[in-house]
Amino acid sequence: MESLKILYLYPDILELYGDYGNIQVLKYRLEKRNFICTIDRYSIGDDAPNFQDYDIVFAGGGADNEQSILATDLIKYKENIKLAVKSGTFFLLICGAYQLFGKYYKDSNGNTTPGLEIFPYYTASNPDKKKRCIGNIVIEATLNEKKTKVIGFENHGGQTFDVFSPFGNVLCGNGNKFGDKYEGFFLDNVIATYLHGPLLSKNPDVADYIIKYCLERKYNREFKLQDLNDEFENLCRKQLLDKFLNK
Amino acid sequence: MINYLTIFFIKILNIILKLFGKNGGNILGKMALKFNKNIFSHFKVNCPVIAVTATNGKTSTNNCIKYTLSNAGFKVVSNVEGNNMDTGILSTLLKNCTISGKIKADFLCFEVDESYVPIIFKSFRLDALIVLNFFRDQLDRNGEVETLILKIYDFLKTYNGNLILNNDDPNVSRLGKANPNNKKVYYFSVEKYKYATETMKEAGEGKFCPFCKTKLVYEYYQYSHIGKFKCPNCGYGDNKIYKYAYNINLEKRCFDVDGITYSIPGNNIYTIYNHLAVLAVCSLYNIDTEIVLKSFKDFSLNNGRSEEMLIKNCKSIINLAKNPTGANVSIRMLNENETKKDMLFVLNDNLADGKDVSWIWDINFDKLNNVDRIVTSGTRAYDIAIRIKTAGFDENKIFPFLDMESALEKLYETSNIKYIIANYTALQPTRAALKKFNN
Repeated sequence: MESLKILYLYPDILELYGDYGNIQVLKYRLEKRNFICTIDRYSIGDDAPNFQDYDIVFAGGGADNEQSILATDLIKYKENIKLAVKSGTFFLLICGAYQLFGKYYKDSNGNTTPGLEIFPYYTASNPDKKKRCIGNIVIEATLNEKKTKVIGFENHGGQTFDVFSPFGNVLCGNGNKFGDKYEGFFLDNVIATYLHGPLLSKNPDVADYIIKYCLERKYNREFKLQDLNDEFENLCRKQLLDKFLNK
Repeated sequence: MINYLTIFFIKILNIILKLFGKNGGNILGKMALKFNKNIFSHFKVNCPVIAVTATNGKTSTNNCIKYTLSNAGFKVVSNVEGNNMDTGILSTLLKNCTISGKIKADFLCFEVDESYVPIIFKSFRLDALIVLNFFRDQLDRNGEVETLILKIYDFLKTYNGNLILNNDDPNVSRLGKANPNNKKVYYFSVEKYKYATETMKEAGEGKFCPFCKTKLVYEYYQYSHIGKFKCPNCGYGDNKIYKYAYNINLEKRCFDVDGITYSIPGNNIYTIYNHLAVLAVCSLYNIDTEIVLKSFKDFSLNNGRSEEMLIKNCKSIINLAKNPTGANVSIRMLNENETKKDMLFVLNDNLADGKDVSWIWDINFDKLNNVDRIVTSGTRAYDIAIRIKTAGFDENKIFPFLDMESALEKLYETSNIKYIIANYTALQPTRAALKKFNN
């Protein structure tokens, strides 16, 4: 039976907005189709993981204080992560993790935390701590040449610049910066986004894109994913798209 | 002079509002603050002022203090209806003061929103502050928990009154170190209970020592991050306990403190923490044990806090859940009952709830104990249905309805016991709908 292996980074630290939901959705959609899904967790103090051993690497967002504690830990794996990105391991990076994979993060006090420099963007926080991009957001992404609306919630003070390949166009909400046209960062094997928490729960297209990509990469053949009962997801999407886009 | 005029005007306004059958809520306080932003410092209070703050349990604990002190024969002024921001507390004070700002009472006791503790008490008397817990709560509105805690910590650096702290919450007990000169810091703690776990079962905050950043080591978790912890590096966590509850018996709804058995109407672990805090206050103010015993036995807050209702001859337990911990303790209650049951989860995303419903993914819906069917409702009925489905609950037994009437029709199709969880703005409409449905 085919299987996928997920590495969940810092589950005890980067878990502010129900981020684990994304892993649960991936596991759910894999197991419903009779694929095996294994989840390994890595956090500070654990044995070093080999990122290339995994099909999917997931990291979420955390509180500012805790995020700075782990930044120094993660940087130890910079070269290993670079190799994994190059070899096609899928990276799903939310909020804080999105920022950490860039060049640097400058906080609202002007202090700069170096990033992993895997991707060429950088993030600077708004000097006014109270000004954050907070609210429901809908973007339009193109996955496998198919357009799909991605629904989520953003809550970030950081403004991300120099994104050459965004995840999607903003239909409502802010995106990478206040009032931006674009949201997130995208490569075939990378989704980095401010749409926090259980992003995949309302966006089965995105979840299935990741699953299909990873299966095809691992087994080097085409996969046609079996349809699942997405009744709740479809009802939810219809309700929310009506609410957010027609206000 | 302006103070007298402000109070005079507000009193008139209160009479007018009463004529129209309105309670005033926060309005009186809002108006008074507009006239005079220093109005808090104008009141003359000659009795102890007690305040309760926490993420969860403020209303229950404050009401229980008020109930017990009243039973002891004291005149108590309190914001029992739960308006807990500066404007709400000000409204309570204005309704109960003389024209010169004097408040005639034996005790003032307030529940206070966490973020308003430093704001209100920088210029108002405070004799005892109770802090129960800090959990993640509506992050899009409140920001990170740590920011909130640091504000209270700063305020406490110069506070010398009674400070009653939950020793089992690392984010609360740290407040005891804010002012090393304050000798009136009292910690309470609850013995490991039957359903405590060795690993954290639900989302929580207390991971690192607030003083040396070392990962905290837990002997056990009662719920969320509440439990017995210690910092292996600096020893943080070891405090002298003022009140310790042991022999926790949820089935018989009782616990022991200092050799006395207290019975309470609630049967969940967090209610025991709330009552223990009340007990600590009563002990500090020398309230007769017999009165405390009787008050605890009788006290119930029938407003959606573990409230039991009989709807269509079906036992229905309704509980407020504003945040993951609130929901997780409700799920604990449900799982600790072995009988077959149905659940209704009502989830709204109105402004007061926080627009972000991501927190539902921090609710532990895994391995629900003998739950037959789940109905969901509220403005985000579908979101919560997806959440529950993904946790592994049979999707054919989940029924989402945006409208409450259809949800209740579905819920009461069987005679199973009902557990109803509703978030903030969903709670009162759900209670009202249940009553209407029952008739």
